Amino acid sequence: MRRPVLTTVTSILTVSALGLTACGSTGGGKGATAQAGTPITIGVSVSLTGDFSGDGKALVQGYDLWAQDENAKGGLLGHKVTMKYVDDASSTQQVVTNYQNLITQDKVALVFGPFSSLLTIPASTVTNRFGYAFPEPAGGGPSVFTRGINSLFFVQPAAVEDNLVSFTQWVLSLPASQRPATAAYATEDDPFTQPQVDRARALLEAAGVKTLSYKVYPAEATDWTPLAQQVISANADVVILGTQEPDGVAFIKAFQQQQYNPKALIETAGPDQGADFSGKVGVANTAGVMVPAGWYASAKTSGNAKFVTEFTAKYGGAPGDISGDAAEAYSVGQVVDQAATKANSIANSALITALHNGTYQTVQGPMAFDATGKPNGATFLVQWQNGTPVPVYPAAAAIAQPLYPKPNFGS
Amino acid sequence: MTPARRTSALKGGALLVVVVLALLVPVFAPDPATTNIAVFTTMYVGLATAWNIMGGYTGYISLGHAAFFGFGSYALGLLLAHLGIAAGYTPFLFVPVAGILTVVIALAIGWIALRTRAATFVIVTIACMFLLQLLAENLVSLTGGGSGLSFPVPTWSGDFFNTPYYYAMLVLALVGLAVSAGIRRSKFGLGLLAIRDDEDKALAVGVPARGFKLTAFVISAALVGMIGAVYGYYVTYIYPQFVIDPLVGISMVLMVFLGGLGTLWGPVVGALILEPAQLWLSYNFGASRLYLVFYAAVFLVVILLLPRGIVPSVTDLVVRWRHGSTAGPTGGSSETREALAAPGVRSP
Amino acid sequence: MTLVPQAIILGILTGGVYALMASGLTLIFGVMQIINVGHGALVILGAYLSFALLRSLHIDPFLSLVVTMPAMFVLGVVMQVVFVRPLKGDREALSVLVTYALALGIEGLLGFFFTNNYQQLNAWYETASIRLFNFRIAYVYIFGFALCLAILGGIFWMLYRTTFGRAIRATMLNRTAAQLVGVDVDRVSALAFGVGVASAAAGGVVFGITNVFNPGSHYDLISRLLTIIVLGGLGSLRGAIVGAMVMLVTTDVTAVVISPVWSSFVFFVILVCVLVVRPQGLYGVTVRDRA
Repeated sequence: MRRPVLTTVTSILTVSALGLTACGSTGGGKGATAQAGTPITIGVSVSLTGDFSGDGKALVQGYDLWAQDENAKGGLLGHKVTMKYVDDASSTQQVVTNYQNLITQDKVALVFGPFSSLLTIPASTVTNRFGYAFPEPAGGGPSVFTRGINSLFFVQPAAVEDNLVSFTQWVLSLPASQRPATAAYATEDDPFTQPQVDRARALLEAAGVKTLSYKVYPAEATDWTPLAQQVISANADVVILGTQEPDGVAFIKAFQQQQYNPKALIETAGPDQGADFSGKVGVANTAGVMVPAGWYASAKTSGNAKFVTEFTAKYGGAPGDISGDAAEAYSVGQVVDQAATKANSIANSALITALHNGTYQTVQGPMAFDATGKPNGATFLVQWQNGTPVPVYPAAAAIAQPLYPKPNFGS
Repeated sequence: MTPARRTSALKGGALLVVVVLALLVPVFAPDPATTNIAVFTTMYVGLATAWNIMGGYTGYISLGHAAFFGFGSYALGLLLAHLGIAAGYTPFLFVPVAGILTVVIALAIGWIALRTRAATFVIVTIACMFLLQLLAENLVSLTGGGSGLSFPVPTWSGDFFNTPYYYAMLVLALVGLAVSAGIRRSKFGLGLLAIRDDEDKALAVGVPARGFKLTAFVISAALVGMIGAVYGYYVTYIYPQFVIDPLVGISMVLMVFLGGLGTLWGPVVGALILEPAQLWLSYNFGASRLYLVFYAAVFLVVILLLPRGIVPSVTDLVVRWRHGSTAGPTGGSSETREALAAPGVRSP
Repeated sequence: MTLVPQAIILGILTGGVYALMASGLTLIFGVMQIINVGHGALVILGAYLSFALLRSLHIDPFLSLVVTMPAMFVLGVVMQVVFVRPLKGDREALSVLVTYALALGIEGLLGFFFTNNYQQLNAWYETASIRLFNFRIAYVYIFGFALCLAILGGIFWMLYRTTFGRAIRATMLNRTAAQLVGVDVDRVSALAFGVGVASAAAGGVVFGITNVFNPGSHYDLISRLLTIIVLGGLGSLRGAIVGAMVMLVTTDVTAVVISPVWSSFVFFVILVCVLVVRPQGLYGVTVRDRA
């Protein structure tokens, strides 16, 4: 799972064109204030190639859908919106280059965020330097918020490290007779997964759930069988895995292989990928698998029904196939729209002030941001039941009872 | 003036013009989009030049120089964090310290890697790079591991921000070029070229091959480490796999091969072509998924048609053309003569 | 403590796959003195070819080798003739660059046809498992190991029992001398390249069932394969096999005993220690001069 940056090689054909054509513009535009009614461009650097390209594609879908809706209702505060996407090949160097180019060369009016904390962090120092607001859908690792940047807003219900909090609350809400006594943890060494698992472990240990095994494995592993063996041999009641999609799938396959069924199984990512996930592990093996989610297709949140209908109409597939990434990207647009209305301006400074105050309605539910751009909400606990993911906790959002203990694989 | 004199005067003048132009880039083109490309391009000019000191002169191909790039980067980042140095110009003063620390690690790696030759050396350098990458990932309490390492961020305005980094990169690139040129003219440099041509014979005639190779390796690594340090400060956030990145190591090698292995100006030409091309193409055409195939195709054509790189091949053409038209025996730039002379150079 | 023996068994079984992939690489090096940096990409290509056959025609991945191995053999021969043979001058260095460019080209094409999403080859033997003492081993590891043994056996048979094999061994020993005694070195090189690439197809299938892969997976793979053949000694088939076993067993055991994050580290430390004592690797003969 090492990041393959593609571009490092050559291109001689463009040699002469280069150096200077790429440059050439004069003076930096400070937030390029648009006249009323004039169309504006919103710039985004997304990973269209490289390791994050799957997520990058989902971001583009969400952003595009928002722009379409926005223009249908007359634009962002009257400005028709055009999205401009550039590829960062999942690389720091390119993401830094892209946001500088978008801001100073293309003079975009606004910028939205890329995928992953690793790219959001360097990008946010660039956008902050130019005084741009930086609402972003996918950079929520702890280090994003510790850099003294006040123009960044993480548009998800909770900071990454709090993702598993709803799960731990559910576990601890079980009656004492059923409550799991032991837990096994394994997590990728990644700023997205590890903080979540560590937080969950701290919370469960404090409540007396014994840790039987805790393993961190390198993010570039591709064969997870040996790791799965260790989790299995711990034979804990609850298994908590800090995975992305490929390892999330692999662990479940290995568990099935070994006919191991913990009472509860949660993965930080993977089971949130809808039909893609059930296709890979087999529908019969999804029953009871849990995942934290900021969004789900049937949620009664602001604009969600419209989002889901339009999304399936535009891109095909079933509501259950929609990636959470797309909903997060769509929320970024929603938040910006409301902030612009509230400030009655699309100037970046006005948007920054507005975003620091008040609560914003999104398809992921309401959210507000603290001084560092961290959201203050909580995620839902989602469980696969009868071949679809459904929210099961907290009770207010639940549409089904949690299955506990988890049904056996293949049943 | 004799033709030789005239050539060297021309060369001196051209050099001066190039340096002055390079110094004035932020004045001509203050736009951050341009200065950003200038920062990365100058960075690769420095990297390729530094790599060439080892790879080009001794013939030992290291594909693991990204190890030193990342090490220098982490060294500066950790120095700034532990000494509590605030953002601004002061961190630049610590870049040489990062370079000295890189020397230490390069001595250790070089001592091991240089026991092997040829293909084995190539692979050992790759292995050492992954070793360092794993250490950066796993020594969490020191490096921050997978959470990465943040640098202090200067509060300079967006329009000015890139300029200091550009000059820092330029200084390092010029130092690299001066060192490279100095080595070519020295007895040490002759020894290195002798090692490239035939190490056993070089040893036989008394070239202290081990010491020479290690010295070249360490000089090259130290420059790369300092450049990595400035890079880290520029992008403000580093992460093991993004700075100890095999592709950074391979990029410098490609630039040297493209420009001309073992020549003084080849690495510069290679970097000036490749890095802006890559940034610009990726920005403008990145969405087309076939561009990787296109890169590969162009690259194959270049290697198969210009196996010695642009500088030697082009100067050859010039020589042949001059030879044909003026029959001047001393035609061609000194670069050509250097390039032509290199393979047959006599041991000291 | 069943974890350690379990890790050792799993290490040996997966080691077989790496042994096969590394053998192809070391064979190519032995015959041509070039490092085929594209070998990892060829393995991934093999996995994708079987993936395509599985998805469109529902052909079992192992069975698909009947088609993909000959196809990859031809591809290998063509690659050698078109891209490697014309190289002049510093072949060793230039070949690294050429094969790297080929790897990028393959990566780009795979990304174009299959997207960059992770894939895995699915088959019934992937999740079905057999009980061994007190743990279970999936059939795929056993089948994969058997396949690799069979192909490695085939390669050894070819090398030591056929005229063509003798020509290959002669070329590996001394290219010029082989030429002098009438070996058609160019032909031998092309065919050996083909054999190496065909074995990559087989490695790709087993790798593709036990690992997830995407077009960029070759970077990680090639760095592992290169370290294996250096540990074993460049150009030594026995070295490649032993190197692969050492790598997989140490990494799996370290993962259990210490931590997965240190597993590759321990292997690299072993590699460095071996090279300090024996720069030519475990089974390498003396260091060849580059001239």
